[in-house]
Amino acid sequence: MNIESVKEFISTIPYNKISLKDILAFEKTPRNMLLAVTTLAFLAMFVIGVATYLVHGHHAYNVTREHPWGLLIAVYIFFVVSSTGLCIVGSLGDVFGFKDYMAISKRAIFGSIVTILSGFAVIAFEIGHPVTMMIYNVLSPGLTSAIWWMGTLYGLYLTFMIIEFVFLLKNDMKMAKYFGLTGLLVGLAAHSNLGSVFGFLNARPISNGVFYPTYFILTAFITGIYLAFIMYGFRYQLKFDEVAKKLLTGLAKIQGLLISILIFFVAWKLLTDIYGGMPNRSEVAVHILGSWTFWAEVILAMLIPLVIILKSGGTNLIGMFWASMSGMVGIMFMRYNLVHDTQLKPLQMLKKTEYQLPPEWVHYLPSSTEVMISLGGVGLCLLLYYVGTKLFNLDADEHH
Amino acid sequence: MARYGMALDYKNCINCKACEVACKEENGVLLGADKHRIWVGTGEIEGEYPLLSIASNTFYPSQCQHCDAAPCQEVCPTHATYYDENHVVRVNSDKCILCSYCMNACPYDARYVDDRTMTVDKCTFCSDTRLARGETTTACQNTCPTKVRIFGDLDDPESEISQVLRTRESKTLKSHLGTKPKLFYLL
Repeated sequence: MNIESVKEFISTIPYNKISLKDILAFEKTPRNMLLAVTTLAFLAMFVIGVATYLVHGHHAYNVTREHPWGLLIAVYIFFVVSSTGLCIVGSLGDVFGFKDYMAISKRAIFGSIVTILSGFAVIAFEIGHPVTMMIYNVLSPGLTSAIWWMGTLYGLYLTFMIIEFVFLLKNDMKMAKYFGLTGLLVGLAAHSNLGSVFGFLNARPISNGVFYPTYFILTAFITGIYLAFIMYGFRYQLKFDEVAKKLLTGLAKIQGLLISILIFFVAWKLLTDIYGGMPNRSEVAVHILGSWTFWAEVILAMLIPLVIILKSGGTNLIGMFWASMSGMVGIMFMRYNLVHDTQLKPLQMLKKTEYQLPPEWVHYLPSSTEVMISLGGVGLCLLLYYVGTKLFNLDADEHH
Repeated sequence: MARYGMALDYKNCINCKACEVACKEENGVLLGADKHRIWVGTGEIEGEYPLLSIASNTFYPSQCQHCDAAPCQEVCPTHATYYDENHVVRVNSDKCILCSYCMNACPYDARYVDDRTMTVDKCTFCSDTRLARGETTTACQNTCPTKVRIFGDLDDPESEISQVLRTRESKTLKSHLGTKPKLFYLL
């Protein structure tokens, strides 16, 4: 392969030439205007949040010695879970050959790229020294570190997703399948490694163990399906054609099964945590059960969507669109809970009273800067996706 | 090359906190309650007068345990946390990316963020300061009025710490986690 052929390959990637005018050319319905204003507001928050961080550093965040991981870690996980989930959904058609799901491949894979880019944008302002990270991740890799594997594999995954997307655009399904499969496997490895970042914490019995590395894959699939409904809902303005109906009904049925498995998993996780009163685990689980954020996760991400799926046998697609909105808010709570609950219990290193503050539960409330950067990540994701819909044809090609 | 450890005759501790002050002074640790490399935990007196539990009123000096199998070292993605030639767990601030994974992984809450370098800092057994000057004691040990701390080479059978550990019973903290701590509490 010479440089000429690479140049030719790149120059033949199909895309629409667009200007700023094209980006601003959307139907000025109240819904679209609301979405546009929200996106702009979130992007403005991102700028303010990042500026505040650049001036004040981590002091702009409410992270502490006892609670070093805050909202931005949760938001990063939220985005990479979304990305992995969309990659799984996108792979159903072009990797595994399920014809009914072929139509969503290109859109889902593009979604997986923009979500992980948004995740990287957020985590760049949580990691204290991102440039040092890029240098020493290569020069002195910590191979026993789950964070090293997670970060490195996600970098590779992004590369494979972009290549797969290019082949999908070029309608080269054979190559898309190869890169899609490789990307999927690397993505799943990366994502379960992200679970192991928590699972490997022997010091934190509430998170330690095999649960998170496996649960992360399950919740990624669930998140991917919620996002598929949301993307299709906007694409078809809730007036789905027959192909979309068939695709979404199938996904809704899969989602019903996945949510049931998730409820089963979470119930047994909490029961085994509480059973026997094991110190540092049992009381944390009981505390989690008493927190409203846990119930927000259960109601929004599990119960509401499951009831809607079960009531209609997966055919209430408009209901599922709204349930997916609720689901994504619930998934955000799920990620926040995961990060916060891991750090709930003080490590109690003989600090029975630590400088006049007896530690009971570690408290944390995100600062305004953390909230602004997090919402900014959402804004960035919406903007990138919107520009992508203008720049590329994300619908299945005609002959499919 | 040594394998440094510390034995604490913790029942002699009178909670004067001179060790905390000496540590901050010697190693230039920033002021502030959450910026500390070492600390003295205090047990409040339990029970109601006159049935007070004197046994509950105890002081527990503690710090980084300089584990031989340190979780903080295992989880570090860039090898910023490393064992130096004396088996002391150290942080190379040039390599630290402040991902804070070590702070979450350390079972002993021994790490904090140094605001000057914006990297994670911890007890070094005064390796940068006193040991580098050729002294053989740490600041916390040197200042202790009741001689709670005994610092030395665990591999040297003639060192004071080795002799004490041979003659007195001791316990280590959270050793069920497989961390192999090198801080020994004398019973």
